[in-house]
Amino acid sequence: MVAVLQRQKLRDFDWLIALLAIAIVCFGAWEIRNAQPTETFWQKQLIGLGIALVAMVAIAFSDYRRLVDLAPVLYAFGLVLLVIVLIPGIGLKINGQRCWIRLPGLLGQFQPSEFVKIPVVLMLAKYFGKHRSSILSWKEFFIGCIILGLPIVLILLEPDVGQSLTYLPLLAIVLFLSSVRMWIVGVVLASCILAAPLAYTIGVKTGLLHGYKLERINVILDPENADKRGFGYHTWQSMVTVGDGGLLGSRNSEFSQSSLKFLPEPHTDFIFAVTAETTGFIGCLLLLASYAVLLTRLITDARRSRDRTGMLVIMAIVGGLIFQIFINVGMALGFLPVIGVPLPLMSAGLSSVLATFIAIGFAISVQLRRFVN
Amino acid sequence: MKFVDDSQNLRLRLRIIQGLILVMLSALAVRLYVLQIVNGARYAEIAENQRIRLLPIPAPRGVIFDRNGHVLVDSRPIYSIILSREDTEAKKGFDRYSLIKPLSAALKIDGEILRERFDQVKNQPAFESIPIKEEAEPGDIAWVDAHQLEFPALRVEQTPQRRYPANGMLCHALGYVGEISPEQVKQQEYRDKGYKPGDIIGQDGVEAVYDGYLRGRDGYRKVIVDSRGHIQTEVERVEPQSGQDIVITIDFDLQQAAEEQLRKSPQGRGVVIAMDPNNGEILAFASAPTFDPNLFSQRITTKEGRAEYQKLLTDPDRPLLNRAIQGRYPPGSTWKPLMATAGLQQGAISIDDSNLVCGGGITIGNKFTRCMGGNHGSPDVHTAIEKSCDAYFYRLGLKMKLEGIQAMVDEFDLDKRTGIDLPHEIISTTPSRELKAKLYPSDPDWKDIDTVYSSFGQGEDVLTPIALLRAHSAIGMRGKMYVPHFLKEVRGIAAVGNDSTRSDYRPARPARVFDRIEPKDLRIPREQSDVVVKAMWSVVNEAGTATGIKLVGFDIAGKTGTAQVVSLGKEGSEHRDHSWFVSYAPAFKPEISCLALIENAGLGSRFGAPSVRAVYDVYYAKTRPAKETPANNIAMKIR
Repeated sequence: MVAVLQRQKLRDFDWLIALLAIAIVCFGAWEIRNAQPTETFWQKQLIGLGIALVAMVAIAFSDYRRLVDLAPVLYAFGLVLLVIVLIPGIGLKINGQRCWIRLPGLLGQFQPSEFVKIPVVLMLAKYFGKHRSSILSWKEFFIGCIILGLPIVLILLEPDVGQSLTYLPLLAIVLFLSSVRMWIVGVVLASCILAAPLAYTIGVKTGLLHGYKLERINVILDPENADKRGFGYHTWQSMVTVGDGGLLGSRNSEFSQSSLKFLPEPHTDFIFAVTAETTGFIGCLLLLASYAVLLTRLITDARRSRDRTGMLVIMAIVGGLIFQIFINVGMALGFLPVIGVPLPLMSAGLSSVLATFIAIGFAISVQLRRFVN
Repeated sequence: MKFVDDSQNLRLRLRIIQGLILVMLSALAVRLYVLQIVNGARYAEIAENQRIRLLPIPAPRGVIFDRNGHVLVDSRPIYSIILSREDTEAKKGFDRYSLIKPLSAALKIDGEILRERFDQVKNQPAFESIPIKEEAEPGDIAWVDAHQLEFPALRVEQTPQRRYPANGMLCHALGYVGEISPEQVKQQEYRDKGYKPGDIIGQDGVEAVYDGYLRGRDGYRKVIVDSRGHIQTEVERVEPQSGQDIVITIDFDLQQAAEEQLRKSPQGRGVVIAMDPNNGEILAFASAPTFDPNLFSQRITTKEGRAEYQKLLTDPDRPLLNRAIQGRYPPGSTWKPLMATAGLQQGAISIDDSNLVCGGGITIGNKFTRCMGGNHGSPDVHTAIEKSCDAYFYRLGLKMKLEGIQAMVDEFDLDKRTGIDLPHEIISTTPSRELKAKLYPSDPDWKDIDTVYSSFGQGEDVLTPIALLRAHSAIGMRGKMYVPHFLKEVRGIAAVGNDSTRSDYRPARPARVFDRIEPKDLRIPREQSDVVVKAMWSVVNEAGTATGIKLVGFDIAGKTGTAQVVSLGKEGSEHRDHSWFVSYAPAFKPEISCLALIENAGLGSRFGAPSVRAVYDVYYAKTRPAKETPANNIAMKIR
């Protein structure tokens, strides 16, 4: 019986998602090597992939409903980690941000804010996963905000604005799929689109928006004429690197923008620019297409989910991924401000890879159990 | 949908999310298209430009030789100790300032200067190394070698540096090189010659005038650098083309003798110039006090160098002044042979009847102006020059009138630049009604007394030594007056590169000799010039004012001059008369002319004449075979 189940499971296992994710990480590792040929980041990334695969398979073959039941415990544990990382001595401070916990041995360090997304997703799925028959209530909305708010506040204390931003789409997707009225969604979206330029104009006129905040926004509005050595440096160099790639990638592979260190953080935040320089427009399109296939497949899995909880888990993960992809690539292409958000599956970083594969493991777990009662 | 959901159309909402995702990814793709396909070439160029750097390889400047092939100025490699930032900055957490203590102690440099230099380079790209010690001595280089393990970033680097002769020898003629100034870069004249900021160019003297020949064409290294300026690799290298060597007319030995005379002079101030009157070639050119041109080529960028320059600028003796072409002095009695020549030409006196009254002086109005030499009776022009009779020339001047004197000035080009190939030559001031009116607004009219003063070189006329020497040389040359010059020849240099169509090809630069300007012909009748030349010969060789410098076997013809300094009446050595001697030799077939002006020394015969003699001694020894000893000459003369 067990053998039959296992055989069936192997047949139902979502090979496409798993293999696509592995392929993207391998591609990413190659680009990391292009970005930092003299460093060992790419090897670490492959080791990270191995660890992540184990975690993914473990999660995939366990019942996500059990884990959702455990959500409050995991959530509480996550909050504890986020508190611990703030303690000097345990939390490692890099570039003014205390968001790392040092691990013994080869593992190096890990970033709790990457992992805490999982319990947050599970917690949201648990709370909003009940059978619905009515529209979203205010009470539900506030509880959702609290579930999301606690980790965000702790992450802002690190302070890591970029990482905390990646939590927002988790709630947004869950609310959207929990019968929030369409017209409210419309109004919120419309007011956001209208408010941004209005806020900018008012901010500049009243002087509330000034200093480096204004500079960062101006860089995005007009990168050509921004201070290319100061605030605009990252954005400008990233645009140059991307443009240098052309259709099929830069001819000058030995002395690339990243190997000459013109492009900052080439193996993490700006890995997409490195990809653009080495593989050109074609390579970038293929990567974006891979993301599109991966996300579409995840949505399909969500649609086939046996229950609301599973659907919400997958969709929250989808929301988190597309948001990170959009922010990161938009930053590399010079039309979004520079925010330290990694590109899922591509950027070097054990925490990010591991967290993403755990998320994918949940998605696979959900789709594996679509026929099971 | 496997589960029942009564809430609002979940299926549609999932579709919306999926649609939104595709829209977002498409937006990214469109942006990518704009950056990589539409503007890709532009960004590729920007990327290329920021990783490519052209580092110049300075071309050695041409050497300056004297007429006998003696090196006067060259660009020798000097060794500097530098700190390579490539190495020090590669190591994280390396504190450059920790080097100050050991380095300043071992290499004997001021620690403060090092700190200053370390501060300066903070914002420069890393391929710019930090100079630690220029002109390192062998001991310093050995120390660096011995401590390679301890200080791996220390390097010994070779750079070309202009080297000028010691003691400021010939400094006013050679000039000096220096970095082109920001003002010069803006001037069209410099831009047309292709100068750019940072270029080392000739800033004065021969270095400036012949910069076009002396300057080489820099080569360059095309390298790839990273964002901090560390050199990754060399893409291309274009070798520099050296500048052309030039030979100048100076004779090293004569120059040394001339400068020696000025150093020994009472005030250490004055001018000695020697020239070949047959063509205008300058053989010696000394102006004292001197300065060290190495200051400008080597030390001007340092704190000490700037202080040294300030000192030169404020020195009351004005060492930077090129007295030979920028000093103006009353000519005193050296004016007289010129007056005599013009007087004969103009017919104020004639060879047969040249006697004029001396009478110990002259009375103009109610003022008696005496003859400094006493009463010479009624001398002829020969005696008047030989004895330097002032009153004779008072009367000659009155006969010639101001117009006659002005015609003389015009004849000898005294109111013009000589055209010597040095920058900043000034024009002498010569007698004129306008000058009188300008200098004495309360007494503006030209009077006879002014003519008297102007006729013996004590008027308002002040001459540059070079103009005076040129005029006297023309007397010795019987009316042929050449433009004095330094350039003798320019040596050729081979082409650099094989392919003449390439932009980095440097064509060969041909050799050439100095294009001599035709001499001015003063049209002095032979009999008339005989009179003046013989008189000048007598000054030294018979009963004249400079018999003390007679050189047997070498007929010097000359004229002494003792020029009163304007601020008369004040006592003290700095207000003594200037001592002149102008001459050429041999008198009847001149090979060399020589002038000495010793500032505030006294009588011309006591200081000027012996200085000139010292130059002639060296010339005589160089040009007359040893067997032709003076003793032989004396014997011949007596017979």
